[in-house]
Amino acid sequence: MVFADSEPAAGGVHVSTPPAAVKILVAGGFGVGKTTLVGAVSEVTPLHTEEYLTVASEGVDDVGGVEEKTTTTVAMDFGRITVNPQLVVYLFGTPGQERFWFMWNDLVHGALGAVVLADTRRLESSFASIDFFESRGIPFVIGVNCFHGQVDRGEQEVRDALTLGPEVPLVMGDMRSKEVGRDLLLALVEHLITTLSTA
Amino acid sequence: MDDLEADAGDPEELSVRPYTLTQGRTAPARDDLTLITIVKTVDPPPGRSALRGLQPEHHVILRQCRGSAAVAEISAGLNLPVSVTKILIDDLVARGQVTTRPPIAMAAGNESDMNLLRAVRDGLRRL
Repeated sequence: MVFADSEPAAGGVHVSTPPAAVKILVAGGFGVGKTTLVGAVSEVTPLHTEEYLTVASEGVDDVGGVEEKTTTTVAMDFGRITVNPQLVVYLFGTPGQERFWFMWNDLVHGALGAVVLADTRRLESSFASIDFFESRGIPFVIGVNCFHGQVDRGEQEVRDALTLGPEVPLVMGDMRSKEVGRDLLLALVEHLITTLSTA
Repeated sequence: MDDLEADAGDPEELSVRPYTLTQGRTAPARDDLTLITIVKTVDPPPGRSALRGLQPEHHVILRQCRGSAAVAEISAGLNLPVSVTKILIDDLVARGQVTTRPPIAMAAGNESDMNLLRAVRDGLRRL
């Protein structure tokens, strides 16, 4: 359908043009600092929302073929950065259960790209996110959350462990820091610009 | 109605099932609202007579969207799942009481996309 951006509605009601919106996803395993990053760069305290998804029942829920689908609730936190009066960037922390993302098209549809956060003590918790974005062709950058400035593994070691190509930007730092979060998002946008100009 | 926002706890604890607010509908009439579709209440806002038949949640949406808000923000403000929120917003779209703006779609190799990315970059640099 066609939406009126700024046309007068019926009865001469005036409508000013609201800002346009884009979306960046923040992914990574449980407890890796997704909401921390969103909170560090967002102009508002991270907001919380939920969605109902209808999913196929797991084997353990099998009740003899009667119940084949079940509704589950997935939750996420998100924040907002107004980059100018006409443009707002929404940052969505993705739900930890990656298997639900495939059923939640609205979450990934239209995303500019993604930030995948990793914790050097359990890099494997980021594998599912990386696989997901690679399979969907969604550009991403890696943010290695170094709590308290601790760096226990070097960049190359992390790249090797995550089998990242050299083109994928990687930023190491404390995600509680607004500057680190900003640099991580900038790395993503620079990466998108480079990809677009060489396309 | 401000109490409604303050009192609304975990959806599990709501005294009514969420889809009661939508008269049992589980999907909006149209499926073009996204998490970041921007919703704005028409200006001037609908008068009292135009609000007949609306739920308190519709009033909350109309108030929140005087300055415009994304679907996800409205969902968070109402403490209702996104799918329920979309149905309520759709009611207001059908009544001509809010307008919506879809998110910017990225298409590969497009100059306007480059301008969009530059605008995002410049905005982030000012953080």
